[in-house]
Amino acid sequence: MEKIKHNPIVEKLGFNRIILCGVLILMYVFFTVFGDNFAGLPRILSALNYAYFLGFLSLGVTFVIATGGIDFSIGPVMFCSALVSGYCLTSYGVPVALSLVISILVGTLFGIFNGYLVAYWSVPPFIVSMASMNIAKGVASVFTKTQSVSWPQGTSEQGWFRNLVKVGNFPVGLVIFLVFAVICSIILNKTRAGRYILSLGSNKEAVRLSGVNVKKWEMLAYVICGILVGIAAIFFVAAYTTVQPGYGDSYNNEAIAGCVMGGTSMTGGLASIGGTVIGVFIIALLQEGILALHFSKDYQLIITGIIVIVAVYADVVARRRRN
Amino acid sequence: MGEVILTMKEIDKFFPGVHALDHVSFEVRKGEVHALMGENGAGKSTLMKVLTGIYKKDSGTIIYEGKEVEFHNTREAQSAGVVIVHQELNMLGHLTVAQNIFIGREFKKGIAIDDKKMNEEAKKLFDRLHIDIDPTETMSNLTVGKQQMCEIAKAISHDAKVIVFDEPSAALTETEIEELFKIIRDLRKQQMGIVYISHRMDEIKVITDRVTVMRDGTYVGTLITEECTKDDIINMMVGRVIYEDPKQKSMVAKDAPVVLKVEHLNAGRMVQDVSFELHKGEILGFSGLMGAGRTETARAIFGADPKESGDIYINGEKVTINSPEDAVKCGIGYLSEDRKRYGIVVQKTVAENSTMATLEKYVKGLFIDKKAEREVSQEYVDSLDTKTPSINQLVVNLSGGNQQKVVIAKWLVRNCDILIFDEPTRGIDVGAKNEIYKLMNKLAEDGKSIIMISSEMTEILRMSDRIVVMCEGKKTGEIGIEEASQEAIMNMATREIS
Amino acid sequence: MSKNSVPNTQNKSVISRLGGQKFIVLLVVVGLIIFFSAVSPDFRKYSTAMSILDYSYYIALMAIGVTFPLITGGVDLSIGTGLICYSLTGGFLIVQKGWPVWAGMLMALLLSIVIGLLNGVLVSIMNLPPFLATLCTCMITRGLGSIFSNRLGISWPTSGTPGSWFRNIFKITVNGTKIPLGFLWVLLLVAVMAFVLNHTKIGRYTIAIGSNKEATILSGINVKFYHIMAYVISGLFAGLAAIAYSAVFSTVQPGTGAGFELEAIGGAIIGGVSASGGVGSVGGSLIGVFVICLLKTGLPYIGLQANWQQIITGLVLIGAVLVDIMKKKKEKI
Repeated sequence: MEKIKHNPIVEKLGFNRIILCGVLILMYVFFTVFGDNFAGLPRILSALNYAYFLGFLSLGVTFVIATGGIDFSIGPVMFCSALVSGYCLTSYGVPVALSLVISILVGTLFGIFNGYLVAYWSVPPFIVSMASMNIAKGVASVFTKTQSVSWPQGTSEQGWFRNLVKVGNFPVGLVIFLVFAVICSIILNKTRAGRYILSLGSNKEAVRLSGVNVKKWEMLAYVICGILVGIAAIFFVAAYTTVQPGYGDSYNNEAIAGCVMGGTSMTGGLASIGGTVIGVFIIALLQEGILALHFSKDYQLIITGIIVIVAVYADVVARRRRN
Repeated sequence: MGEVILTMKEIDKFFPGVHALDHVSFEVRKGEVHALMGENGAGKSTLMKVLTGIYKKDSGTIIYEGKEVEFHNTREAQSAGVVIVHQELNMLGHLTVAQNIFIGREFKKGIAIDDKKMNEEAKKLFDRLHIDIDPTETMSNLTVGKQQMCEIAKAISHDAKVIVFDEPSAALTETEIEELFKIIRDLRKQQMGIVYISHRMDEIKVITDRVTVMRDGTYVGTLITEECTKDDIINMMVGRVIYEDPKQKSMVAKDAPVVLKVEHLNAGRMVQDVSFELHKGEILGFSGLMGAGRTETARAIFGADPKESGDIYINGEKVTINSPEDAVKCGIGYLSEDRKRYGIVVQKTVAENSTMATLEKYVKGLFIDKKAEREVSQEYVDSLDTKTPSINQLVVNLSGGNQQKVVIAKWLVRNCDILIFDEPTRGIDVGAKNEIYKLMNKLAEDGKSIIMISSEMTEILRMSDRIVVMCEGKKTGEIGIEEASQEAIMNMATREIS
Repeated sequence: MSKNSVPNTQNKSVISRLGGQKFIVLLVVVGLIIFFSAVSPDFRKYSTAMSILDYSYYIALMAIGVTFPLITGGVDLSIGTGLICYSLTGGFLIVQKGWPVWAGMLMALLLSIVIGLLNGVLVSIMNLPPFLATLCTCMITRGLGSIFSNRLGISWPTSGTPGSWFRNIFKITVNGTKIPLGFLWVLLLVAVMAFVLNHTKIGRYTIAIGSNKEATILSGINVKFYHIMAYVISGLFAGLAAIAYSAVFSTVQPGTGAGFELEAIGGAIIGGVSASGGVGSVGGSLIGVFVICLLKTGLPYIGLQANWQQIITGLVLIGAVLVDIMKKKKEKI
């Protein structure tokens, strides 16, 4: 066992990530055997649709958790972005391209709001999350007058944005998502921002005493999260068309689940974008698999809840052992 | 003085790598106040922690009321009547005074807690001690002094026979100390045995009957307070032979320019009107006993904590330092006494920690220039002789001395001219200590100016060109290395302030 | 809360003698009532008061319960979806399985205690961060509720049908006038829980844990047990809130309930519970809840959508926490 762990290739890829990939493959086999018509492209494409928006949420929240914080307003904020921009598109005749920009803008604004309160005013992150979750729902409902918004169909003239998800059967979304994951990984591991975000998650006071403006960098993590949430909204509407105000909470947990499963520590300082990506695929496959087994979405809520509890508890135990 | 109530015989206690208590003996009689004295790290607190069951002794016997005992935790000690009033208060600020005193053993009336009775009992306790505190007041509304009185009341409510006061006066004002002494005298009259740990020589003379001195984990001797002088006690405390040669004379040129000047610095109770100058190439020792306010002074200068007033001049120019960011820009680097909490980021590598304060210089375009980072960190690993398998090692895996070198490298990479070393060798083994000393001397030779805060007298005498002594938040003296001696420094560090 | 900012007994201000933040928030409640009444004639009707009270019961009950975990320095995010889950479970047993109403209620309460216990164990024994543990149970209860009810809305027995007696617990019609009995129960429970918080071991140690957990452990108190109890209380009151909800509203929809917890937690924090623990009162939480209920029912009367209430609640919550943070900063200096 130890030998395998210290094999250079294994070390490079990360032992946990290899295990996660194994889990992913086993799940696929399991659902293929027991699910209805699971094998084949349609199911995979459907799972991917789910993975895109969830993946962006998860990438975003990875940055926040890396600082030792939390953001569980991401689901409702994503819906808020999709609703506000969609309403601009359908009711005010704003062009599609601009609507997409608005979507990202809304997400970013929430990121700035959350980050400023957490970093500069020391408001506990969970309070900020709770507040902005409801503000997001409120803004979305007020803006759309509590109506759902449907984005244009792929066949219509304005439907070009759906090509972001797939062209024919080619999963363009997968390419875009992976490109973003690589960018996030580069930000986290190769730039000053990422270095400081991870370091302050590990030991904020030591970083502050090194003369670093920790408030600025902590806030940046929330802003990056906000931007990614705005992008997630685009992929959500491109795949699922209609958005209803007042919802989005259930995606919080799934995004956090993808993140902590991938090896990001809830206490901050340790984060793996690669792990998050695999974690997201597991959640997406799980969602598709549960449907294929003819269970309702509700089982997914329960299973994700349990996954997060187990993953975080594993982290708690690992930390205790380290000390 | 009555019969002996508590005897500790030949107590031994080992910590990894340290013989913390070496055959220490100690006794307390009924109706006496017995002072326990010694420098920082002499083993006073360890001895008391062994007594009250916080630490387990490795050998030796404790005889209490004629029977051999061994307490396994503070609760057992408490119920037997041996209680300790800690220096840090274990208070629940949101509860009332009476609720704090009786926490965990509330009086009950049916299912309800009988707060009325608790208030009455607390009142009775306070009356017995002649203290005027309202039992229904919320704890956090009281001054530190009154909170301490509550701790004492709590201790006594356990039917205490032996009470240990661990530096009770450290946080008290003059009048509060008077009150405390009145209480202690009362307790003495009631035939309790009292252990009094303190650094304040004048208090020892006023309140205690006997003095036991410890040094480096060993028992030195016991004196009758009335029959000894302050100098006798100091001589016993510092009487150790110094193996390393103290510095004979200052290495700093007479005309060396002043690089840092601090004037009338104030920051809370622990930093009051501190002024001093630091010359180029100088190692300025900051000496004093625990809680003298040295670390607080350093943190205030560095901008880590807010200051109330005072001016700082760097190379003659007045600067504003409100955050560590400002301080670092002014060329000041701070090496904290607590490396794990304030110095290193344990989950990052040696290279990453080395550039923590200078990262903006190691960025090429958008990205960190890892090659340059590796080069510079390797350079300092070599020049400081840091023992690490590679610069990609996580610092958590390095030894204390090598972690310290990584922190030093962090500030050298930044090219800081003023370095504040706060207890630079704490928790570092002897060999590594010498290396750190050599390094500091070399840095000073190279023109860096160093403030060295140290609680070890030998370290102060060996390293400093000049010594500033602090006591209770104030600067109480400044002395050149030529005139410095252990006795002279200890005298200033324990001087009473009126 | 303001008690702490007062240096000593001798010069307590008038406001702090009247109950500090509680008093100010009570003034806000009165101010809101006056404001809405002045602007809208419809607001002055008896039926409006009744509908405000109808909305207040379940939020108030949740707020009473969640005050306990908040005082320990934690939080319980599972109460909102939990409420719906317990209500659906009870309703399902009564309507589909033909259980008597009292048995259905009992099952709802039992389930609420189990979930509270689960939260307590996750936080106290397994050391998970409270917001994360309860976020998970929030999702789990949401899923469970939907599964039990087969994703269909459930109506507990409606007025006039046999078994609708429980609706009279909260609102009874005498001579054609509706009397808000529920308010009485809420007040009674506030009194009981204020007693528990201030005069029993459970309450005392809840405050102690929030004040200084280490010192509490050193005092030899079984902290794990009392920490769990705080979450059990929170769960139980979510169960009671579920009964109130089922009695007041005709249909319970699965998948809803998210957001209720914010109204309860927001109410508690507005009413003076500190987000960092140690401080809070049950009565204060109740008054805080009324600020939120008034906003929720009052805003439409002055021509604003009800959803503005969500935005305002969020902002007020942050405002209340900021006030708390500033106060602590001041105390430090």
